[in-house]
Amino acid sequence: MTDPTRQAVLSVRDLDVVMHGNGQASRVVRKLCFDLQAGEVLALVGESGCGKSKTAEAIMGLIPQRSGTVSAARIELAGSTIHGLPEAAMRRIRGREISMVFQEPLTALDPVFTCGSQLAVLFRRHRGQGRSEARASSERMLQQVGFADVKRVMRSYPHQLSGGMRQRVIVAMAMACRPQVLIADEPTTALDVTTQAQVLQKLTRLGRDAGTAILLITHDLGIVAQYCDRALVMHDGRIVEESDIGQLFSAPVSDYTRELVAAAQGVSL
Amino acid sequence: MTSMTRVWSQLSRDRAGRIGLIIVMFFLLLAVGAWIGLVGQGWSATEGGRWEPANAEHWFGTNILGQDIFQRSVYSVRTAFEIGFVVALCSTLLGAFLGAIAGWYSNRWVDDGVLWLKGVLDSIPFYLFVAAVAFALQGNPWAMHLAMIATFWTTTGRLVRAEVMKIKSSEFILSARAIGLPDRLILWRHVLPNTSHILLVQATIAFVAAIKTEVILSFLGLGVQDGVSWGLMLAESTQEVLAGHFNNFIAASAMLFALLMGFNLLADAMQDALDPRQSGL
Repeated sequence: MTDPTRQAVLSVRDLDVVMHGNGQASRVVRKLCFDLQAGEVLALVGESGCGKSKTAEAIMGLIPQRSGTVSAARIELAGSTIHGLPEAAMRRIRGREISMVFQEPLTALDPVFTCGSQLAVLFRRHRGQGRSEARASSERMLQQVGFADVKRVMRSYPHQLSGGMRQRVIVAMAMACRPQVLIADEPTTALDVTTQAQVLQKLTRLGRDAGTAILLITHDLGIVAQYCDRALVMHDGRIVEESDIGQLFSAPVSDYTRELVAAAQGVSL
Repeated sequence: MTSMTRVWSQLSRDRAGRIGLIIVMFFLLLAVGAWIGLVGQGWSATEGGRWEPANAEHWFGTNILGQDIFQRSVYSVRTAFEIGFVVALCSTLLGAFLGAIAGWYSNRWVDDGVLWLKGVLDSIPFYLFVAAVAFALQGNPWAMHLAMIATFWTTTGRLVRAEVMKIKSSEFILSARAIGLPDRLILWRHVLPNTSHILLVQATIAFVAAIKTEVILSFLGLGVQDGVSWGLMLAESTQEVLAGHFNNFIAASAMLFALLMGFNLLADAMQDALDPRQSGL
C-alpha cells in the first residue's frame, strides 16, 4: 500500500466518529485507516459533508465528548499514541507537535487582539520564550510566510488585513513550532484563485523546510494535482481510494474517484 | 487606526452622543469638585433663612431648614456618582463572571445554578427586595448598594451568557484550542474580551439605573442615611410644594433629568460605536 521504508509520522487505524446531535447519532467517519509519511503532502479529497473535517477534528482531539464519540484502534503521532490522552497532555501536543489551519481566515483569528499577540502566544506557551523573544520569533515567522512589512502586520487587528494575509498569519501560527504534522482543513476555499496559490506555496514550502508532513483536506482536484504527493479519496465517511497523484488521475480505481476526476475535468474544460 | 481611535472618531461624529458626553463630563467635574472640596461643601449648613428665594448668596434659594439648595443639589452629584460607580462596576463584573461561566458550561449544572439564581432574583419585586435587605442590614449605608448589585447583574449575565454561547462555537475558539490553549485561558482571554461591547453598555445602563433607584430609595427613606441626595431633597420638597415653594423640587428634578438624559444619549452612541462586529470588515 505505502512504501514501508519510510516512517509514518501519523498513523490512523479504524477511526470511527459518531456525532450525536438533536437526540440522534450519525456515524460520520467509518473505519478510517491511513498513514501520513514524514515530509509528504497527503490530500484528503471528498465532497462536503463526507467527514473530512470531522476526521481532522478527531485526530486533533477537538471533538467534545458531549457532541461526539471518537473511537480508534490507533492514532499514533511519531510512534506514540495520542488517542485517548488526557486533555492536559493533548494541549501540550496541539500547536507544537500537530497543528491545524482552518477553512475560514475571516473567523479563525480573535477580532479583539492583534495578530502579533496571537502569534506570540504560541512561542510563549510552547517554547517558554519571554515577551521580547517571542516577539522576535513572531516577526521572523511572519517574514517566512512572505510579509514584507512585518511590524505593521504584528500591530494589525485581523479585520485590518485581507483574507489572504489573514490566512498567511494563520499559517505562520500553525507552523510556528515546526510541528511534525500539519492538518490544513480546506485552507484556501474561502480565497480567490491567485491568493490560493500564494498561500499554498508558502504552506508547502514551509512544510518542506521544517520537515512537516501535511494532511491537506480539500475538494479541489486542481490543488491536489499541483501540491500533493498522494491522495485519499473519501466518500460517505469511508476511504474509497488511496493512490499516488499520477495514478489518481490516469487510472482511478473506484467508481467514485472516476466520477470526481471526470467532473473536475468537465469543469476545467 | 486602532480600535480606540475608531470608537472615538465614531462617537465624535454622533451629535447626540457628543452632547451626552459633554453633559456627563460636566457632571463628572461637579462630582470631582465636590469630592476634593471645591464645591457644595456648605450643603448641611443652616445659615440662611427659611425659604429664601434665589439670590446672589443662595443661587437656588434655601429650603425649609434654611439650607442652600444649590450647594445641596451639587453635592448630591457626588452621592449619585459614588453609588453609580460602585453599583455599575460591581454588578457588571458579577454579571460578566456568572454569565461567562454559565455560557461556557451551558446546559450543565453550573449553568442551571446561575439561571436558577437569576430566575429567583428577577422574580422578587425590586423595591420589596431592597426594603428587605435594608431592613436586614438595619442602618448599614451599604444596604442599598448590596441590593442593587445583587439584582442588577442579572441582565448583564443573561446577555453575556448568550454572547458567550455564540462566541464559543466560533472558529477562532476552535483554533485557540487547536494551538493548545487551556479552556480557562480561552474563556478569559478570548471569549470575555469579545463581550466588552456588551459590558460597557451594560455598565452605563447600570450606572443610570443605580442613580435613579438611589433617588427613589432615598425618597422612600431606604437609601442615603446621612448625607444628601436628590431623593432626600425631593422628600423634603413634599412639605414645601404644598406651601408654594418649588425651588428644592425643581433643582433636584432638573439635575436628575439632565444627568440621566446625558447618560442615555452617551450610552446609545457608545452602543453603536463599540460593537466589534462593526469594525469595517
